[in-house]
Amino acid sequence: MKILLAGNLNVGKSQLFSRITGIGVISANYPGTTVTFEEASVTFHGEKISVYDLPGIYSLAGETEDELVTTKLLAEKSPDYVIAVLDATRLEQGLVLLLQLIELGYRVIVALNFMDQARKRYNIDIDRLEKTLMVPVVPTVATTGEGVDRLMELVISNTVHRSPYVTRYDSHIEAFLEDIAGGSVSTGSGYPIRGASIKLLEGNHFFTGQFSPSVLEFADQYRKEFREQHFEDVEVHIARDRYGEAGKIASEVITWLPKRDMTLKDRISEVTLRPRTGIPILLAVLVGIFLCVVVVGGLLETLMADVYAAVVGDFFSQLASWIGGTPGQAIAQGIDLSIQAIIAIVIPYILVFYLILGLLEDSGYLPRVVMLLDGLMLRLGLHGRAIIPMVVGTGCNVPAILATRTLESKRERLILATIIVMAVPCSAQTVIIIGTVGQHAGILYAAAIYLILLGLILLLGRILHLVLKQEPPSLVIEIPDLSMPSLRNILSKTWLRIKDFFVIAFPLLLIGSLVLEFLMLYNVLDSLVEPLAPLTVGLLGLPSVIIVALIFGVLRKEMALQILFVIFALSVGADLGTVLTEQQLFVFALVMATYMPCIGVLAALMKEFGIKDAALVSVTSILLAFLLGGLANLVFILT
Amino acid sequence: MLSENAEDYLACIWDLGQRTGSDVIKTTAIAAKLKLSPASVTEMTQKLAVDGYLNYERYKGVSLTHKGKKVAERIKRKHRLLERFFCDVIGLRRDQSHDEAMKLEHTVSDESVEKLNQIMNYPKVCPDGDPIPPGDGPLDPDPDLSIHLTDLEEGEKGIITHLTCDETTKIKRLISMGFVPGRSVALEERVPMGGPLLVQLEELKVALARDCASLVMVRKC
Repeated sequence: MKILLAGNLNVGKSQLFSRITGIGVISANYPGTTVTFEEASVTFHGEKISVYDLPGIYSLAGETEDELVTTKLLAEKSPDYVIAVLDATRLEQGLVLLLQLIELGYRVIVALNFMDQARKRYNIDIDRLEKTLMVPVVPTVATTGEGVDRLMELVISNTVHRSPYVTRYDSHIEAFLEDIAGGSVSTGSGYPIRGASIKLLEGNHFFTGQFSPSVLEFADQYRKEFREQHFEDVEVHIARDRYGEAGKIASEVITWLPKRDMTLKDRISEVTLRPRTGIPILLAVLVGIFLCVVVVGGLLETLMADVYAAVVGDFFSQLASWIGGTPGQAIAQGIDLSIQAIIAIVIPYILVFYLILGLLEDSGYLPRVVMLLDGLMLRLGLHGRAIIPMVVGTGCNVPAILATRTLESKRERLILATIIVMAVPCSAQTVIIIGTVGQHAGILYAAAIYLILLGLILLLGRILHLVLKQEPPSLVIEIPDLSMPSLRNILSKTWLRIKDFFVIAFPLLLIGSLVLEFLMLYNVLDSLVEPLAPLTVGLLGLPSVIIVALIFGVLRKEMALQILFVIFALSVGADLGTVLTEQQLFVFALVMATYMPCIGVLAALMKEFGIKDAALVSVTSILLAFLLGGLANLVFILT
Repeated sequence: MLSENAEDYLACIWDLGQRTGSDVIKTTAIAAKLKLSPASVTEMTQKLAVDGYLNYERYKGVSLTHKGKKVAERIKRKHRLLERFFCDVIGLRRDQSHDEAMKLEHTVSDESVEKLNQIMNYPKVCPDGDPIPPGDGPLDPDPDLSIHLTDLEEGEKGIITHLTCDETTKIKRLISMGFVPGRSVALEERVPMGGPLLVQLEELKVALARDCASLVMVRKC
């Protein structure tokens, strides 16, 4: 048996899915997160049921990618039932989608979600709603599980039939529908002719493909005529009729309760939304995220490093002697280092970030961020939602790259990822900037680096905006009320995301570590010092050994500072001013801050954008770093 | 006395002006609407320009002069009142009313139309919901006239009258979010720094980029 969940955005569909199936699923309050659909199997009273969670949509017009995916999935999966998830607090909007599902001949069961919140505002006459639409309606509260069992019992009872309910349209549209049906045209795909014809008129590409050319021509002609007569496109008119119908049904079944006072939740919803209060709150939240990622991540890092050291003990030295010789040492050391990198560096920061992201998504706060910052970010050729990855990037660039997924188009994601890689300093880069120029060359030099990075963000935004021509899609998003996120949901999706990351990053880190170990053991790094001297000495005006720190920066950025002390044979924390001039420190820090992503970031880039774009971004960032470093050196020479 | 044909031109330009919100109309748009060749449109508009009904700007398009606007509004007034009459009183279908009105608008006298207006108790809009231009004087910024959603003040409410745009993709996105004629929408906030508009669309709160919001036409209420 197959069932499919369809509904608007922010109706708690994914939460309901997770309730039904009992396994974790990525769900969010944020429009656009459920772009991919979820699938799970569940056994209920001995019946095996496959459950699919479709992207949230507002209509089946087939205009957005989500709508088209939904239309296709509905067709491909040929479900036994479609569960239409409606938000009881926004009944009309949900009914519009429901009417379309009924029209297309699906056997529909309605889950009327957020019933707890709706009850505070009005009574819904469920009986009357069922009788009017001739479909079963089950009130549910996905966060507590209310109504879920009844829903599933209805599914396996196999007593639900197609609803004969018919949405009436304008008399002209009705006449067209009669013409089509009378001409005995068939779509040959099992859809009711009326439903398919309406979709044909609406211009849903999935359906237009199912009609013969002569019918298409007839429909086109009709659309033209309609427009001339009504000064309105037929799809506008269809939507108008549908909303009229939905509004009528909603008003018949709803009895309003006396207006209640604003609850605390309402007030919080309100103050986070109004620009006057919302923008200061937003700034506080952003600073909070930054501090959380850096501080809590840092604490976790120390903790996990200690735990790891205790657990591993001398396992790797034994491994080294067991394999034997220099290669043994390299292999053991390489594996050790890469595991360390994952559990002590990457996991703590990513973990903290994902927990925060889950919280932001499920509470409904993300759309507010987007709304408040959209104007500002548009100037960078980005949406308001781009701010989250950028803030996260100041902690660690890896989760920041993964977080670009909250952006709508690949174009915007690539712009943002490039900006993050090149111009947003992660905590390891901050350590380098502070630890070199900040401590040994003065705060002005450090400030100069941050200013350059800020300028770079603005400049890159502009340039990329121009290069990747197409306009960013204008913002049209729903702003849901804030709601209490469920811990269960956040934990389960954080777990899924971490797992996802681990699978991709670990192999790369392992390879990278092994390569680096071998390079060091066979003194390849040392032999690179002289050949690359034109670059380091000539272009950047730095001592040639600095190349070792630069190469180290790719694998373990956070270790580049320590390596700096090592290669100059200083004790860690000693005055770098004795070996490098202030200008040299500045050039080094600038290169490190804009320089190629560490291997973890590379992994994230490859996962999100594919090997080609990942390589492009990396190479460009190396060139940019050397260009900036070279320029800075030139300026110092000339002045 | 102008020919019927010329009157149709002026009414058409007036209509396009109302729909697009711009005074200058491209001759290609007129050709498309009247289903004529661009060449014959150019010929006619030049003639009307010579007679002082239109300002003709090469490569840009045409705009109505005060004189031209008067004629156009008189025709549209007759047309919409007649439509109202055929639809409400006689009970014809909307498209039939439209066709009848198209024929009669050129011949019916001002007196008859004003009498009809009186009998029907001074309707404000035609059956499609478009405003009926007043009998005398120019069209004032009347409360019944559609304005862009972006032109509402914060806290003001309106009813969506239509969506104006040639980009179907944008229109469809707006429709599926529920920006549909007849529904009410209130402008709550303009987010600073060129940010979106926060609007309350019936039971839904929506953040809408300004370029999208300007496609939504509303009548204040």
